[in-house]
Amino acid sequence: MDWIDSILAAAQPILVSGIVLASLYALMATGLALVWNTLGIFNFSHGIFMTLGAFVAWQFADARGYGLGLSVGIAVSVAALAGLGVLFNRVLIAPFLGRKDIVLVAVMTTLAGAFFLENSALLTWGPRIKQLERILPGNIKLMGSAISLHEFLIVILAPLVLLALWAFLKWTRPGSAIRAVGQNRDSALLLGIRVNAIYALTFAISAALAGGAGVLLGAIRFITPTMGTEPLLKAFIVVILGGLGSFGGTIVSAYLVGFMEAISTYFFGAYWTQAVMFGLFIVILVALPRGLMGRD
Amino acid sequence: MTAPLLEVRALSTGYGRTPVLHEISLELGQHRRIGLIGPNGHGKTTLLRAISGLIAPWSGDIFLHGNSIAGADPAKIVSAGLIHVAQANALFPHMTVAENLRLGAYNKRARAKSGDTLEQVYALFPKLRERRGQDCRTLSGGERQMVSIGAALMAQPEILMLDEPTLGLSPKLKAELCSAIERISESGVPTIVVEQDINFMLRLTDYFYLIHQGQVTAEFRADQSLDNQKIMDMYLGLD
Repeated sequence: MDWIDSILAAAQPILVSGIVLASLYALMATGLALVWNTLGIFNFSHGIFMTLGAFVAWQFADARGYGLGLSVGIAVSVAALAGLGVLFNRVLIAPFLGRKDIVLVAVMTTLAGAFFLENSALLTWGPRIKQLERILPGNIKLMGSAISLHEFLIVILAPLVLLALWAFLKWTRPGSAIRAVGQNRDSALLLGIRVNAIYALTFAISAALAGGAGVLLGAIRFITPTMGTEPLLKAFIVVILGGLGSFGGTIVSAYLVGFMEAISTYFFGAYWTQAVMFGLFIVILVALPRGLMGRD
Repeated sequence: MTAPLLEVRALSTGYGRTPVLHEISLELGQHRRIGLIGPNGHGKTTLLRAISGLIAPWSGDIFLHGNSIAGADPAKIVSAGLIHVAQANALFPHMTVAENLRLGAYNKRARAKSGDTLEQVYALFPKLRERRGQDCRTLSGGERQMVSIGAALMAQPEILMLDEPTLGLSPKLKAELCSAIERISESGVPTIVVEQDINFMLRLTDYFYLIHQGQVTAEFRADQSLDNQKIMDMYLGLD
């Protein structure tokens, strides 16, 4: 029974690398989904938000930057990204709200914003690769595979952040208002909810989530101006696969995509993984056009 | 002379470049229950949307307690106590009845009293108490309408505008909603009601305007011994 042994041998590294990927995708995709569910647009700047999260944290934390330590770097990065989210909403989205072709316009404006920031990052920080310090140094053994404590932290932190976000949306006034605006904008206005302020808040939360994901990823991969491109693509797959309008679907889908990617990388190699992922993505959408848990 | 509660003066507006309302004027004050009647697509809903700030007036003015609110932010209009229940409105389908009602008390003025008001809403619509944990999309049309009206009451209305509150409901449910609306106006809240059913209109209003092609073409006192046939003829444009 050699094949059973080989599958069991494969299962552990797949599980471990899959869950790390999945946790990062969940953080990225939830931010993207939040903006889609509330404003009805896809934000193509979401990837560059992640990149900038890593760069800003590096700038403040690293000895070659301001050298203020990692915790200052993380705090400044998340706050700066929330601010940038508000600014992007004000400049790239708000002027076009109410147009019938807002979805298309937002694709163009947020793509333009992404290119602008990507090249600004290149000019500011240069092409030389950088890396953040790990939040927790050292390694641990998890199910027989050694992983860094930093990766372990990602696996623990992502569900906690998502849980906090869920509680915020479910139990707080601004959180309910965010959901309400996404479900029925006119009725929200008629109950006195300031929709434009809610849009700004949504963007701030979404960008802060992306920035946080960038900080976490920036310690295990290299920080480059294009580091957010692939995670953005994956986040799109996750959100659409999970079903538009459903946070639960997004999270399930993030973990599914993370594990599928790990399986594919193990058996087919990194080279083929992209093709395998998109192939599966198309097959699933043919069977379930609304995604896994999509709403009408 | 005190200013009317609400006055619309020579208001014109529309969508895009298409005009819908042509210098329309009416007032709520002397009569505390007014109605708008008329064929579909002639501007009743547009008028309510303009009053509550969802669309901007092109010309003319709207006064609430004598202050102009034309083109004001909807949130400001809600804070001033003018609440609009939109037509065939499912409010927030993926939220529970209780969440929908709580959002009704979103404005600062309503927040403090929301606990007491919630009890009043449940007393008015006992069904909603039973269904408070259910998502709104799972409710029947009549129950959704109750949630919409309930959420509006949670907002502490000083004037309540109802756009076809009985649209698409069974006669029994229509009658039930009608008596609920009657109780709301008896509690002292002035109302503006859009209604297609002339009998309900007579029950729910003291005075009503016939709106035809974006203009007021006739006004009636509801206690006049009305010639229904004459109203219907005007309604259908036969007169």
